[in-house]
Amino acid sequence: MKIRSLEDLEEIAHRGIQKIKGEKIRIAVGLGTCGIATGADYVYTYFENAIKDLTERVFLTKVGCFGYCSEEPLVKVTIPGKPLTILSKVNPEETEEILRAVLSGEIPDKKALCKIEEWNHITEYMVYGKGLANIPSYSDLPFFRGQLKLVLRNAGLINPEDLEEYIAIGGYKSLHKALNMKPEEVIEEVKRAGLRGRGGAGFPTGLKWEITAKNESDEKYVICNADEGDPGAYMNRNELESDPHAVIEGMIIGGYAIGAKEGIIYIRAEYPLAIKRIETAIKQAREYGLLGENIFGSNFSFDIKIVKGAGAFVCGEETAMIASIEGKTGRPRPRPPFPAEKGLWGKPTSINNVETWCNIPIILAMGGERFSKVGKENNAGTKVFSLVGEVKRIGLVEVPLGTKLKTIVHDIGGGSPSGLKVKAVQIGGPSGGCIPEEGFDTPIDYESLRDLGTIMGSGGMVVMSEKTSMVETALFFIGFTSEESCGKCTPCREGLKQMLHILHKILSRRGSEEDLKLLEELSMTIQTTSLCGLGKTAPNPVLTTLRYFREEYEGLINDGKD
Amino acid sequence: MVKIKINDQNLYAREGENILKLALKEGIDIPHLCYHEIFEEPYGACRLCIVEVIKDDERFITTSCTLQAQNGLEILTQSPEVVKHRKILLELYLAQAPNAENIKKLAEKYGIEKSRFPKRAFVTDHLNGKCILCGLCIRVCGEVMKAGVINYIGRGPSTKINTPFFEENPDCLGCLACVNICPTEAVSAEEVENRKILKSWSETKVKMKECKNCGSLFTTYPLWEKTKSLLMEMDTELEELCPNCKRELLIKKLTKNLPLPKPY
Ligand SMILES: Cc1cc2nc3c(=O)[nH]c(=O)nc-3n(C[C@H](O)[C@H](O)[C@H](O)COP(=O)(O)O)c2cc1C
Ligand code: SF4
Ligand code: SF4
Ligand code: FES
Repeated sequence: MKIRSLEDLEEIAHRGIQKIKGEKIRIAVGLGTCGIATGADYVYTYFENAIKDLTERVFLTKVGCFGYCSEEPLVKVTIPGKPLTILSKVNPEETEEILRAVLSGEIPDKKALCKIEEWNHITEYMVYGKGLANIPSYSDLPFFRGQLKLVLRNAGLINPEDLEEYIAIGGYKSLHKALNMKPEEVIEEVKRAGLRGRGGAGFPTGLKWEITAKNESDEKYVICNADEGDPGAYMNRNELESDPHAVIEGMIIGGYAIGAKEGIIYIRAEYPLAIKRIETAIKQAREYGLLGENIFGSNFSFDIKIVKGAGAFVCGEETAMIASIEGKTGRPRPRPPFPAEKGLWGKPTSINNVETWCNIPIILAMGGERFSKVGKENNAGTKVFSLVGEVKRIGLVEVPLGTKLKTIVHDIGGGSPSGLKVKAVQIGGPSGGCIPEEGFDTPIDYESLRDLGTIMGSGGMVVMSEKTSMVETALFFIGFTSEESCGKCTPCREGLKQMLHILHKILSRRGSEEDLKLLEELSMTIQTTSLCGLGKTAPNPVLTTLRYFREEYEGLINDGKD
Repeated sequence: MVKIKINDQNLYAREGENILKLALKEGIDIPHLCYHEIFEEPYGACRLCIVEVIKDDERFITTSCTLQAQNGLEILTQSPEVVKHRKILLELYLAQAPNAENIKKLAEKYGIEKSRFPKRAFVTDHLNGKCILCGLCIRVCGEVMKAGVINYIGRGPSTKINTPFFEENPDCLGCLACVNICPTEAVSAEEVENRKILKSWSETKVKMKECKNCGSLFTTYPLWEKTKSLLMEMDTELEELCPNCKRELLIKKLTKNLPLPKPY
């Protein structure tokens, strides 16, 4: 069926609701890459076999990742009229017992992590039911208490391979709304929201769209940057795996706003599940007429295609990405001209990060004004971080911008699991830096992080304990960027190689004060003179560790002296 | 026209004019290795052409080959900040291409005698320890000659330039544009018997064309093929001659039927 109107959308929403909270018991297994890594696919298969003769009463389905990765596999059970319950660390062997309990209207307490009585999908409000007094509420768990799920509002709750479920929670209503506005009004709304790009640099999204829209051209493009390559970061993977339609909806709205008929999702080939889900979502959106000619019966037409990256980190940089899509080697070129002026095939192009696109339907649903109130002045909205490393509770954490670092590391993450002291947090991947414990009072916003010598980056957050060597950490990141440097410009290609050499020398206790000085000088030159963001930010891990943990470098140098 | 200032010099420029090009025209020396005026788009790889831009209270470093003239633009080409970074870059170049005389000279000009960075271990590579990966040879071969014989191989610190699969490339025209454009004289080629050998590019061999009349090897075969002119098509006799023999034959042909000048 082709959706032409709001009524059509509502009809499908009705079908979707039946799956989410219908008359049957719903068992939803979290099947993101993180879940699958811990055996969730076996859990799913066991359930599948066990309910073979029970399909009249039980509806088994797949959902994405709910973010609490250290508790995977997660299974969400909804008994009609009762709260949705999340069961954690479910073994395949436990499925039968769970099923038996659930069929008799019970939830096995010892497996239950928490319950959700009602849920704000932003685009829709879902009320499940009350009861199950023994099970803690979602908002009582320390991991979830400080979080605000806007981008991840659907992740782990709906089936990402079923468009009807996305529509059931208010999906594509924002698109309908946008198509009934003028393109300029849509851009105005995004500007009012104050959304800044989530790919790292934090450029105002509305402004980028406005520039792209104003550049006259018969053809324009929007690109979704899904080349996420920072070590330790997997926000975008999860967003695509768990809620692909939110990305698609955002891109259609963006295409309409700037006057593009074609969108491209550039996704790294190392994300096979995300690719599969987004391909399925595109196919379904086409079937329902949400992609293609005359969307919602309007005269706006738009389609999306997928381009797979070939494993080069630098292709996340926008000009290298454009070259790669055009079939050339992924090497950055000087800017200006910016892609908004001369992008893909020389046409005006807006490139935005996956998470930036995810925010668009939310802004349309909430209104720019209300969205701008979330977070902090000049830093509107939330940010998803992947909290990993020496921390008790691991997973994807979404917090309003301006939240303090210690809230994430200690309150949400629960500090170090081994009882060792937390020493630092590495933010922003290879382009970012290490923030020492003394800096944990800092609010997380673009400017504060920059002042600390790091960057927001795309959201990787690696916690390190006192047993981690900061010099080795710096070496790891320089090794990464040196290997991933495209090799075009000298400071990055030759400079990082020499930095690596000096770091090795220091670590093998052959370093001197002169080496330290040279390391600093070299860092400044690479930062100042490199062509693209990779080189410009690559010295950050060294510069921040030199700034906050200089004694570790000096210790190694002095060790070598005697 | 817009007004700009380079060091102490006030200049007029076309809006958007390339600052490096303008400076060079005005005799202001800005070192550069990857810029060449035959290319329209700047490449931005060598980073030696950095200058300091002064804008209101702000000062920042950028490359002059990517900078465009704007009214009121003020730049310094030798500020302490610029010189500091340029020196480090030169030290990096010295380590990368220890045999490149031009680099040594440039480094000397900046008072650098020795690089603090260790030299590359192998300097007997196919580019004689002189290549600084400026990319000019690749671009001239691909964009200007449309031959595309060589390209980058690998990335990051292991980037190399050569033919695909390090094999002789039959697409080579033997034009030696790469040899001539290279700022460090890294590319080597020689003529052996009736062939040009691009030693740097996997020993790619290109056959020479022999003059039908005098027997001299006047160009390479592919170049000859490419540059056969309309004139030669009209008169195939001219086709296989070297420029000297061609000129002679042409004169002969052109004067044959002309009436001799009348004596007065
Ligand atoms: C080396 C390098 C890698 C990058 N990788 C990514 C990436 O994986 N994902 C991303 O969205 N942006 C990445 N960026 C930033 C993009 O160039 C671009 O700024 C971003 O996609 C713009 O989207 P936004 O405005 O929504 O943030 C990278 C930049 C550099 C220099
Ligand atoms: S900074 Fe590094 S990645 Fe960027 S263009 Fe230069 S060599 Fe390539
Ligand atoms: S061989 Fe010469 S022209 Fe080619 S990249 Fe190396 S230095 Fe540049
Ligand atoms: S001449 Fe400007 S970067 Fe090489």
